Amino acid sequence: MFINAMGLILADHKRIQLGELSRPRALAAIPFAGRYRIIDFMLSNMVNSGITCVGVLAQQKYKSLMDHLGTGSSWDLDRKKQGLSLLPPYINSLNLDSSDNDNLSGLLDFIRANRFRNVVIANSNVIFNATLNDYVSRHEDSGADISVLFNRDGFKSGPPAIMLGMDRKGSIKDVMINPHKPVSNRRSAGVVILSREILIDLLNDNAARGDSDFSVESLLRRYMELRICGIEYKGTLLRINDIPTYFSSTMSLLEEKTRRELFWAGLPVYTKVKDEAPALYGPLNQVSNSFISDGCVINGSLADSMVFRGVTISAHAKVSNSIIMQDVYISEGVELDHVILDKNCVIRPGIKLVGQKDFPVVIGKGAIV
Amino acid sequence: MARSEIVALILAGGQGSRLGVLTKYLAKPAVPFGSRYRIIDFALSNCANSGLETVGVLTQYQPLALNTYIGNGHPWDLDRNKGGTYILPPYQSSERSDWYKGTANAIFQNVEFIEDQDPRYVLILSGDHIYKMDYAGMLKTHIEQKADATIAVFEVPWEEASRFGIMNTDKQGRIVEFEEKPEKPRSNLASMGIYIFNWPVLRAELSCDEEDAHSDHDFGKNIIPKMLSADMRLIAYHFTGYWKDVGTIGSLWEANMDLLDRPEAINLRDRNWRIYSRNPVKPAHYIADSARVVNSAMTDGCNVSGQVEHSVLFNSVTVEKGAVVRDSILMPGVRVEAGARLNKCIVSFGTIIGKNVKAGADVEGECRYSNTRFCQDGITVFERGLKIRDGAVVPGNCMVEFLEPDTIVEAHFRV
Repeated sequence: MFINAMGLILADHKRIQLGELSRPRALAAIPFAGRYRIIDFMLSNMVNSGITCVGVLAQQKYKSLMDHLGTGSSWDLDRKKQGLSLLPPYINSLNLDSSDNDNLSGLLDFIRANRFRNVVIANSNVIFNATLNDYVSRHEDSGADISVLFNRDGFKSGPPAIMLGMDRKGSIKDVMINPHKPVSNRRSAGVVILSREILIDLLNDNAARGDSDFSVESLLRRYMELRICGIEYKGTLLRINDIPTYFSSTMSLLEEKTRRELFWAGLPVYTKVKDEAPALYGPLNQVSNSFISDGCVINGSLADSMVFRGVTISAHAKVSNSIIMQDVYISEGVELDHVILDKNCVIRPGIKLVGQKDFPVVIGKGAIV
Repeated sequence: MARSEIVALILAGGQGSRLGVLTKYLAKPAVPFGSRYRIIDFALSNCANSGLETVGVLTQYQPLALNTYIGNGHPWDLDRNKGGTYILPPYQSSERSDWYKGTANAIFQNVEFIEDQDPRYVLILSGDHIYKMDYAGMLKTHIEQKADATIAVFEVPWEEASRFGIMNTDKQGRIVEFEEKPEKPRSNLASMGIYIFNWPVLRAELSCDEEDAHSDHDFGKNIIPKMLSADMRLIAYHFTGYWKDVGTIGSLWEANMDLLDRPEAINLRDRNWRIYSRNPVKPAHYIADSARVVNSAMTDGCNVSGQVEHSVLFNSVTVEKGAVVRDSILMPGVRVEAGARLNKCIVSFGTIIGKNVKAGADVEGECRYSNTRFCQDGITVFERGLKIRDGAVVPGNCMVEFLEPDTIVEAHFRV
């Protein structure tokens, strides 16, 4: 429970775009698993580890993220001491008119102001459910400058794949992005642990060079000058790199093992509470192998799908292999297969939409089809 | 302290003895209702939605669950700098130490709390009714009518009127007479136990009532009749909409089923009048391939592989493959194992219904748990934290609790 670390979540990732889903929002704020946003998992991991100070570095499109995080009370991060800080680009009178927003000053201030020994930095495209205490201890014991979590997923779940070459002692000797000939199946999980001192040095160094790129990958690239060690994460870990992996990661939750490890391993996943009514099943529905959230009204048929909060599925509608986000209305007689509907979509009566497993049809937020 | 216009006081100390084992460890207002609520959520959410800022909750009987549930009032947006939620238990002082002796005495014992808030009006509520009501509208009537007290009334069917406290009013809505459970009712306006008083008037009445050794210290029996006999201005405020007292096993079951049979009656989906509750922090519920769910309500964390018909499931309920649940209410954490059949059962927190158990309305006969005083119409109730033995047969109209391990109950555990 006691941990001498603060958290830093990177809400965006330059190399990861989810088309219509990331158009209105940061990667971290993309809805996932029925009642969550992607960031909920890493935030909960940090909170469940006893971390009381978390920064969320957001570069753009952070309105939806702000709405979601609020004061941080859903994660018990509304605190007098530390708590949750959203770190948007730092605009001051010097760079007001230029496109060169200073992304790092705010971050540096945040790191300087909160005196914890370690910082856990995480990308927003990985989803797992675990406490970080053991990894932080192992980092401290190893004497490494930076520790990086990895697993052995190899190329599974597509690019961008940061592959790690390691020596016998676990030190990183090579870092490659989407290599043609991978040296191993060790793939970065996008979570690093380092001391606050080293991070401050690195950020100052970056700032002095006018380098505003700050990412987990940019830290790993320093393996020549710093001692970076790999720590294996052995549990279930989902990666979201693009629409197909978003789709397949969601569908993997329908498997019992994934569901158990992600939700029922004893560590709660916190999210913003919506106070919806309970889900209501009508007399005519047929539901199988699906997740359904509060506030839904289910009168049609539903198979192998993920349904978010407040969704209506009218009578004689057939939905299969689909992801239906918050407050979508599906009219009578609609047929959907391999479809992702973003929030607030309305599907008019009788419409048929069919995608393929690797190419689901994606309908953006608020569309009326 | 800054003056508040109106302070709400929720009477939540009652045992609700007619709910039997359901209120063995918790007060009636803390009893789960409607898949994701507790009964008191309705009063608290009404307060929040009506714009009230200061809410005192008077607790007495088994307060632990209720106190933990309410906490600082955050789920209802009642964690405030100005005002907020206050739990008000009975207390000891240098002069006296008393339990709350009646509804009026409970308020009297908290006069100091109310004085500190310095309100013009006091709203008295009970924490055990299911309804949605805008108290601001009632306050408006109270002010416009220049009333000393305003009492919310509800039109009940004439044939049931003799079970209620009945208000007889004149044409202007002024209450002229109050009759507690009259044999021949002259009106069908039942008191809902919701009162707004001018605080100075109430304070005087409470002090006076406290002196009276023969008084039961009850609003309905003592305070209201006395104010009427003193010719004070008491106004009836007509409430139309869904209202249900869930004080008995039968009415609790019915009110839950109302959510399935006529969801529009109380409309929990109204986004302008949400009913808030403390969130269990569980994932979305999962319906397996083998499941069949019809005419039912359920919420986060449920895991259904069996058949669920016309039932209300609370969070984290598991219904295994081959189990059949009909017309039942399964409270948080209940597990119904493979092959079990439940019919008209109310199962309290965390109880495990073993494999192939057969229980409820369609099982004839009697057993040591038969209890027709509280359980009628075939409804069978299970206490919380029981393990019901595999293959056990439990007839309808039973109140199953832990006495000792027997052919029905295998064990009892803490939940």
